[in-house]
Formats: sequence, C-alpha cells, structure tokens
Amino acid sequence: MPDPFRLLEAMVLLTALVGLLGLIWRRNLFLRALALDVMGTGAISLFVLVAARSGLRTPILARGELALNAVPSIAWADAIPQAVILTAIVIGLSIQALLLVVIARLSRLDPLLDTASFEALVIAAPPEAAGGRRA
Amino acid sequence: MADPTTLDAWLIAWLLLPFLAAFSSALLPRLARSLALVCVLTTLAWGVWASLPGRQVLFELIGSLGVQLQLDGVAAPFLLLNALVVLAVLVDSWRQPPPGPFLLLLMVLLGGLNSSFLATDLVSLYVALEVVGITAFLLILQSREPRQLWIALRYLLVGNGVMTLFLIGSGLLYLYTGSFRLQSLQELPPGSTTLAVGLALVMLGLLTKAGVFLSGLWLPQTHAEAPAQVSALLSGVVVAGGICPLLRLALLLPAQQPVFTWVGLASVLLGLVYALGDGDLKRLLAWSTLSQMGFALLNPAAGGLFVLGHGVAKGALFLAAGKVPSRDLSLWGQQPLAPALGLTVLVGALSIAGAPPLLGYYSKATLETLPLTGIPGLPVHLLGWLLPLLMVGTAAVYARICWLPLGAGWQVPAPGGLLLALVLVLVGLLAPLLPGGSPFPSTAALGKGLGVLAAGAAVEALRRGLRRPVTALGFRHRLRLPNLESLIDLLGALAVVGAGLQLLLLRLQPVSTDLLLVEALCLA
Repeated sequence: MPDPFRLLEAMVLLTALVGLLGLIWRRNLFLRALALDVMGTGAISLFVLVAARSGLRTPILARGELALNAVPSIAWADAIPQAVILTAIVIGLSIQALLLVVIARLSRLDPLLDTASFEALVIAAPPEAAGGRRA
Repeated sequence: MADPTTLDAWLIAWLLLPFLAAFSSALLPRLARSLALVCVLTTLAWGVWASLPGRQVLFELIGSLGVQLQLDGVAAPFLLLNALVVLAVLVDSWRQPPPGPFLLLLMVLLGGLNSSFLATDLVSLYVALEVVGITAFLLILQSREPRQLWIALRYLLVGNGVMTLFLIGSGLLYLYTGSFRLQSLQELPPGSTTLAVGLALVMLGLLTKAGVFLSGLWLPQTHAEAPAQVSALLSGVVVAGGICPLLRLALLLPAQQPVFTWVGLASVLLGLVYALGDGDLKRLLAWSTLSQMGFALLNPAAGGLFVLGHGVAKGALFLAAGKVPSRDLSLWGQQPLAPALGLTVLVGALSIAGAPPLLGYYSKATLETLPLTGIPGLPVHLLGWLLPLLMVGTAAVYARICWLPLGAGWQVPAPGGLLLALVLVLVGLLAPLLPGGSPFPSTAALGKGLGVLAAGAAVEALRRGLRRPVTALGFRHRLRLPNLESLIDLLGALAVVGAGLQLLLLRLQPVSTDLLLVEALCLA
C-alpha cells in the first residue's frame, strides 16, 4: 500500500495540472476562467495537505482546554500553511470576480466567447509585412 | 542613527502610507494629487537612504514565522526607479488626470511594488505581486474599449495562472524546508525531484512577472496596447517587481546561476530579433524591454542598477511615444517633432543603447565590469565577447528611432518624459561625483562604448540599404517572424519554460516521459 500522503499529493498536483491543461486548450473564455479556478483549487488543497502532514487537529484551544492539553503528544496540524492559504483564497476569489466582469463585457461582442474572435481585435500585422506580401 | 525599533516603525509606516493615502483619496478626491506626491517623495527618500553604502535593515512582523522584509542595497535601485517613474507619470497627468480612479490605482501600485521589492519570503512576495497584477489590470482597463478589455483579460489570465503555479511551488518548497523564507532555500540538499519542481515553479512565476524569455511573451502586446502612461509604468517599473526577487534568488543560490544566464541570454536574443523586425514604435520598445530584462539576469550583482537605468529611459520613451504623430515606424522621421519631445526620445534611446555621458552607459559598464559567472558550455571569456555583441544589437534597435527631425517651438507635450530624460542626463554627468559612484570612465572604456554605438548605427544603415532589394525579391514575407502572441502560445510557453527550468535544475537527469509528452504537445 503506497503512502497515503504521497498519493494525495500526487492527486492534488494532478488537479492543478488538469487546470493548467484546460487553461491552455479550451477555446471558450469562460471555461478558461473556470480552469484557472480548478488550478487554484489544486493549490489550496496542496496547502491544506501540507498543513495536515503533522496532524489533523487545528491548533486552536477552547477556553479551559489549555491546562488539559498542554501535553505535546497530540498531533497538531501545522498552522502556518493554513493561515497563509486564507490570503490566497481571498485573492483567487477577487481575481475570478474581475475576470468574470470583463468576460461579461466581452460577451456583448461575441456571445460564444471564442478566444479567436477577440484576438482578431488586436491584429499584430505590421504595415511593412502587408506591403511585402503585395510585392 | 535612531534605534532599530523606531526605524522599523518608520519603515512600516512608509510601506502602509500609499494604501492609506489611496483610501483617503477615494474619500477626498481633491487631495489625491498631493497625497500621491507625498507617497512618491517618501519612496524616493527611502531609496536614497538605502542606496548609501552599508545600509541594511531586516525586520520581521509577527515573529519569526511571519512576514519578513529586507531593505538593502538590492532593493535600493528598485525603490529609486519606482519613485522616479511614478513621479514622471504623476507630472504627466498633473494638469488633467485620466478618467476613473487613476491616481488611487497609481498609489496602490506604488505601495504594492515597494512591498514586492522588500519582501524576502515567498508568501509576502505572492501577495505583493498579486496586488501589483490586479492594479496593473485595472490601470489597463482605463478606457473600457473592447481592445483594452481583451488585453487586460489576457494579462490577468496569464498573470494569475502563473502566480497559482508560484503558490504551488512555494507549497512544495515548504514541505522540505518548513519555511517560506528565501534564505531557507540555501540549505536545501540538491537532487530531489520535488525540490526541482518547486523551485522551477517559483522561478517560472517570477520570470513571467518580469517578462523574460518565452514566459514574457504576454509583454509586447500588453505594453503596446495600454494607454501611454500605463505603458510607461508597466515597462518601466512593473516588470521590476519580478526582477528584484529573481536577483535576490540568484544572489542566494550562486550554484543555479547557469540557469539564470541561459534564460537571460535567450531572452536578450529573442527580444532583439523581434525588436529589429517590428514596424510599430511601441511594440519595438516593448520587445526591447523583454531583451533588456534578460541582460539584468546575466549579472545579478549589477542587475539592480541596470534595471534602474533601463526603467527610467523606457519610462521616458513610452511617455513620449504617447505624443508622437504616428506609431508606424515606416513613417518615422517624416514629420518633425517638437524639440522637447524629440530630445526626450533621443536621450532615452541613446541611454538604453549605452551612450557615454548618460545613466545607461554606467549601468551597462557595471554589468560588464563586475565578474561574470561562466556557465557549462560557455566559458567566461566567450561570455565577455558575447556581451558587447548583444549590446551592438541593442544599439541597432535604437538606431531605428534615432533619426528624427526636430521642429521648432517651446511646447512640452510630455513633461513627465522630459523629467526622466533630465534625470538620465544629470545622473549620468554627476555619477563620478556621487558617494560610492563609479569612477570617470577611462579612454578605452569610452572608446568601446562609442564603438558599440557606431556598430549599431552601421547595422541599421545596412538594414535600410537591404530593405529595398529584399522586398523586391519577395523574401520579405518568407522571412517574416512567426507571431507568438496568441493566448495559446503564451500559456503553452509557460508550460515549456516551466518544463525547461525543471530539466535545467535537475541537471539534465532523465525525466519521466509524461513531462516530455506535455512539452511536445504544447509545442505543437
């Protein structure tokens, strides 16, 4: 039986990879934003997993519990990754919101949200090249 | 000198000031300009303070596991650059601020960048860079035209995707080191796959934010399509938000310097080739940013000063580029420019090309004189030959915009750009007199600098001479460079660069086949 921590780590990284592939290959902008969220979920689960490596119990003590549980034998979870990932969750949420606002505005141009139709907005053909083709 | 706790308190107050000022300016819009000026001037003062020799402050918030910030000689040139570019943009928009919450965003950008220059732990860095990214996104969105909506969306998709990878990388590194500190990376045992993956993802995040090599392919279109003042900010100082932590990383991990050198050289070449081939003024400037950021990675000890010299000049050029009659380079030089505008362009271009009395000359000279690290397969003396050659390429790029007729008149269309150009000239003239500054350049060094310029001009003359026969023979469209800037290229490039970094970091050990498969698919 493989180490469950390793197995979970691999699955979490796989989630992030699936998100990245979706971000690269989806043509629909909305699905791309969704894939980005899948990637974010992978990152968050990785931090939760890292925090749970040393134990599952969150190091928060109820009132009166302090004297009882001062023994170090309890397997506490690592509080640092837990605290850190809260910030990242908030940032990820706000960026998703911003992305969706812009996508909603862009949907007036192309309701199908195909990436190619927006790339046509900024055609990067230098004027010289156009002249060259005619020659 | 004040005692350390008072100093820390002042530093924290300074770091928080732009955010408080931005909040107050939302409540009292009439104060916005003066508040922004105060933020800029305090940043300038701290930058000057930190650039004096021997100054280093390391401080921790919430104990040894919390945020760690470091104000030192690495951060100093970046703080000066931040203050100067934001000051120039502020001066440019003093009479008539652009619509929307421009000044508020300017202050948040200044604050976010200051934090990213000082942060030395991965999580603070993540937060600071995301603040910078979101602010830059909102700044691009100024006019809400469909074009800018698309460019901004692209910027945020790439930026946030790569920062998520950065977060995963720092999580993997935490598994090994038990800390988010950059210093803790020094104690790592070499050779572990997880470690190489973690470090590669962190470096990928920073390289993308810095606009280096293929991971920086988002840069040209974004910088070219944004409004002029925002382009100046993006190309002058926002890319530095990624370069500064990269330099810190390179200084901490001298064993990994070959990776930085390879990526830097590749970026210089890519940027030069595209800048020489492009027909649009702002895109030429943006491609040149991509190549200049590569130079900064070649020599981490001199990188900060180099980015300062480049950023001030690029800010001036972009501010001026917003006021020229046409961005089309085939029409360049047909219409005379106002003298103030023309001189700004000329000083900016000459400074980046490395003309002797300007600031850019000194930053380039330091890059060459400080000892370079050789890399496997490319010994130091070969690198010493390659560097002047690449600088000739830079000179050739800027020779394209140096032929410009000056008109008459006293109007100043881009005051901020003129301010930055003055800084370039004055600091260049005073550089030998500053404390800890470089000595007067020797005749041989001056001759070498002028030789590089002359060779660049010769390349440009050759290019102009060849243009007609090449067009007549129909080579032109066969020789056209491939367009690498669709969204799928940008995102695929991230995967390629990430996989390449892992390979380099594992010292070309055999890798699993699925990684190679992903790479091959992305290339296709």
